[in-house]
Amino acid sequence: MPSAIWQATSVNPENVDPRHPPGDVTLSFRATTANVALARTMAAAMAARTHLTIDQIEDVRLAVDEAVSQLVNDCDAQTQVHCDFTELAGTLVIRTTATTRTGLPPATDTFSWLVLAALVDEVIAGTDNGLVHLELRIKRPASVTV
Amino acid sequence: MTQSPIAPAPIGRWNAAKRDQARNLFTELADIPSTDQRHKIIRDELVEMHMPLVEHLARRYRERGESLEDLVQVGMVGLINAVDRFEVARGLEFSTFATPTILGEIKRHFRDHAWAVHIPRRLQERNSEINHAIESLTRELNRPPTIAELAKLTKLSDAEVMAAMDAGRAYAAASIDAAAEAHESGDSPYDRIGDVDPALEALELRETFRPLLAALPKRERQIVMLRFFKNQSQSQIAEQLGISQMHVSRLLAMSLAQIREGMSEN
Repeated sequence: MPSAIWQATSVNPENVDPRHPPGDVTLSFRATTANVALARTMAAAMAARTHLTIDQIEDVRLAVDEAVSQLVNDCDAQTQVHCDFTELAGTLVIRTTATTRTGLPPATDTFSWLVLAALVDEVIAGTDNGLVHLELRIKRPASVTV
Repeated sequence: MTQSPIAPAPIGRWNAAKRDQARNLFTELADIPSTDQRHKIIRDELVEMHMPLVEHLARRYRERGESLEDLVQVGMVGLINAVDRFEVARGLEFSTFATPTILGEIKRHFRDHAWAVHIPRRLQERNSEINHAIESLTRELNRPPTIAELAKLTKLSDAEVMAAMDAGRAYAAASIDAAAEAHESGDSPYDRIGDVDPALEALELRETFRPLLAALPKRERQIVMLRFFKNQSQSQIAEQLGISQMHVSRLLAMSLAQIREGMSEN
């Protein structure tokens, strides 16, 4: 069984978790550290496609590394981690979700949080019934013409 | 990397007359305030006069896959620093004084730019072309470029640009050794970092975090502090430390992974 799959936009609407609307691209994988690199690579590709600057692309790569590593650490290995990537009017929205062991959102007074906050424009963390999500938003500079 | 002997380099057509001329110029320079126009003229003359020394030293490294022109250019930085720091009153020969400084710059260049893994020549060249394009676009746009902007300037596809940048990320794992080396001069940009304690105070587990930060090699530690506590961009840090943005990114990724690992052990 493949440990990671990714799917582009066509998601069967009946399978969509209402708490968790699909992005342009979704990457799902088992919660192992080896899979973190997949999320990182996909994030960089999506960042390039959103016409973010090369600094932002590298920052996105680091931020996804941090966010996903953190989720993976908090999950059992058989858990699925989902990363949704969506472009919303020049902003790349990356939403990572997983059912973690504690079901608690990440603490905001950690170095990890400081890293995320420094790397992206906005970080939103939340939890819904054991499903923890961490959303990263990165805005394309107004001076970039697409 | 093999150690090169740090000895003054013999220079062809370099004779006692020239050595005396250099000594006289340095003596004159020592008495002129740096704001004086003549100071600049003499300094330039001294730099120009010693260019053969840089070329000679750079030639020692030409078999290592970097262009001689690039090596001479980085060596010139060392020469200029040496001219500015040389104290003629100490009685040392200038070439003896300048040689380690010039070699230091050339070696630093290898540490920061040398390819640690084998990357096809074509990709290396493309990578260096892209690095040049990044520099010129950053100046022109006043912000770092996008992949599409780089592709347009280099006449490559987006995918080719990204592939070359990925290859760039693979180079110079040697930086780990480099950072472990002690830092020579007191006025390097690494030392220009203020106290980060106020920012650290806000962190839970700061007692865990502080030793993890301290455990990083000096340069990595500085990069982490500049990026996350001083909020500088990767490009700004790259410029300040004289390394590429790709290199900064790679060092940050390694450092964060190391810190994360340390955190989870606690």
